[in-house]
Amino acid sequence: MRRVLVANRGEIALRIIRACHEEGLEAVAVYSEADRVCPHVKAADAAVELGPAPARDSYLNVERLLEAAAQTGAEAVHPGYGFLAEQAHFANAVEQAGLVFIGPPPSAIQMMGEKTEARRRMRAAGVPIVPGTTEPVADGEAALRAAEEIGYPVLLKAAAGGGGKGMRVAHSAKEVHKGFTHAASEARSAFGDDSIYLERFVQRPRHVEIQVLADRFGHTIHLGERECSVQRRHQKLIEESPSAAVDLDLRLRMGEAAVRAAQSVGYLSAGTVEFLLDPQGKFYFLEMNTRLQVEHPVTELVYGVDLVREQLRIAAGEPMTCPGRPMRPRGHAIECRITSEDPFADFLPATGRIEYLHPPSGPGVRWDGGVETGSEVSLYYDSLVGKLIAWGETRERSIRRMRRALDELVIAGIPTSQPFHRRVMEEAEFVSGEYDVGYLDRVGDALLSPEIDASELEQVAIAAALAEDEARAAAVPIAGGTDGGPAESAWLQMARLRALRGGR
Amino acid sequence: MRYTVSIADRTVQVEVKGNTVLLDGRPIRATLVAIPRTPLRQLVVNGQARTFAMTRGTDGWKVQCAGRWWPVAVLDERTRQVRELTGQRAKHAAGGLIKAPMPGLVLRVEVEVGQRVEQGAGLVVLEAMKMENEIKTPGPGVVQAIHVAAGQAVEKGMPLVAVGEQEG
Repeated sequence: MRRVLVANRGEIALRIIRACHEEGLEAVAVYSEADRVCPHVKAADAAVELGPAPARDSYLNVERLLEAAAQTGAEAVHPGYGFLAEQAHFANAVEQAGLVFIGPPPSAIQMMGEKTEARRRMRAAGVPIVPGTTEPVADGEAALRAAEEIGYPVLLKAAAGGGGKGMRVAHSAKEVHKGFTHAASEARSAFGDDSIYLERFVQRPRHVEIQVLADRFGHTIHLGERECSVQRRHQKLIEESPSAAVDLDLRLRMGEAAVRAAQSVGYLSAGTVEFLLDPQGKFYFLEMNTRLQVEHPVTELVYGVDLVREQLRIAAGEPMTCPGRPMRPRGHAIECRITSEDPFADFLPATGRIEYLHPPSGPGVRWDGGVETGSEVSLYYDSLVGKLIAWGETRERSIRRMRRALDELVIAGIPTSQPFHRRVMEEAEFVSGEYDVGYLDRVGDALLSPEIDASELEQVAIAAALAEDEARAAAVPIAGGTDGGPAESAWLQMARLRALRGGR
Repeated sequence: MRYTVSIADRTVQVEVKGNTVLLDGRPIRATLVAIPRTPLRQLVVNGQARTFAMTRGTDGWKVQCAGRWWPVAVLDERTRQVRELTGQRAKHAAGGLIKAPMPGLVLRVEVEVGQRVEQGAGLVVLEAMKMENEIKTPGPGVVQAIHVAAGQAVEKGMPLVAVGEQEG
């Protein structure tokens, strides 16, 4: 294996290209017409244009991706996350073309990808699951019958789903009907499959997931948990490792369950087993993400493991570098997802050009970004522009470091979720560590108060007035231009203004 | 020069006199230095430095403070008086014309003309960045007109649904 085609874009493509280069492998980037000047294209050793901007014509076009691999002599394909990462047909097509798929076997993707089948398998493997249907429901009426049986509230979920798409909570019969329509339509557009199943909605759960890693030498290990309970509409916003709710004993039990889950489907490479953890410390299998996760860096920082490097080694048929015995997390890491969404306008997605980007740096700070100054943020792809990760000796130290890093970050040109994260890092419930997936619903409104602080108001007003004054002094007066007469030299104008003010 | 500076619903008077500004009449030593080839400017107020990202727009500036962008209207005395006389102060459009808050694809229209809607009721489902976003009515009323249909792509600011007072 010498050349790896990275079938993705944005920050994750760049992350994988960096790992390839560190391993002495060449990386091939692919891009759509909208992404010609993206950082991942520049970072790669070769790059192939796939097609028009819409994902189905570019990043989801299997034929074009395989052509690109053949054309550039790549021997392996890394799918990243999203797009085709959890499509068994893609992994299959890659292997059929004689290439190495950097991820689990297609059969494992298939078994975990069909969520109801996964639930049946997990039950058989002795992994606890949430009560609910183990088959998709046919229609709204069937959903209603299932809901009445399970007991409200229920969760309607896309059988092919992930990442919160095609998922709705229903507290009543009326909501089941509406939720079914919404979830099915969202699932159809996101995954091309509108099968929906139902589960009991566990109250006040935390979302805690276990990282697993498996190689071809019979080693399947877990790398502890990630706490991902700061979510909005089932989309993760902040992740941390370790979780404040998980002690050594629980970590071992959840870790062992995750390893059993992975082994039951013959898993290879990096994967994540998601659990719901209730306030009594009981945990239930949610789903397995058969790919690298967005939030993998927090695990990397506390376990000292490079997960993409391990994926590359495992794909090349080498053993993983991690020891077979359980490892201990060192310190604490937090990740904030910086998205092009306006947290003060109900997280509406925004588009535009990044006029300026200053990523934070310094001790314990990692910026995994996919954009740079001048990048266009379009509506074609998801809204993640970068991930800010901070490590500290303790949870408290990592929160302080994250505040400092968020204060350094400047993204001009589009609204981002940055101010939301800055406020969460000061919010009492988050700081205490005692939170669950209902966190944002509880604190969101107060946290995202649109009011401006009095001292900030003064400073912003002074800055704006000074900037306006300077801009006007530097500009040619409008009267000179509109009269049709010759405009006075701006230099002359400025010199006179400076002299009048007694400045230099 | 004397400016009327408005941020959200707050307004202050700032008079610039060299290295001193009068903030609502209170003198404060302040300087602003632009950092070349960036939108960053360093403000020093009474010896304390702070960096803002600032971009100029129509009618003023956008200033980033604690990661959040504030639109800041900066009007000189003359412009402000002209505005006041011609009554150009931001009048909120009467009746609720709900516009697309972002570009996207209309997935569903959830109301019909003549339908009575409560505040916060869903009107249209817009898909953008692979997420469904339900566009809600900011106030109660009756649906007067629907300007879009399912499957239609909309630009930011395009009218979606008009919600008005009940007739008669």
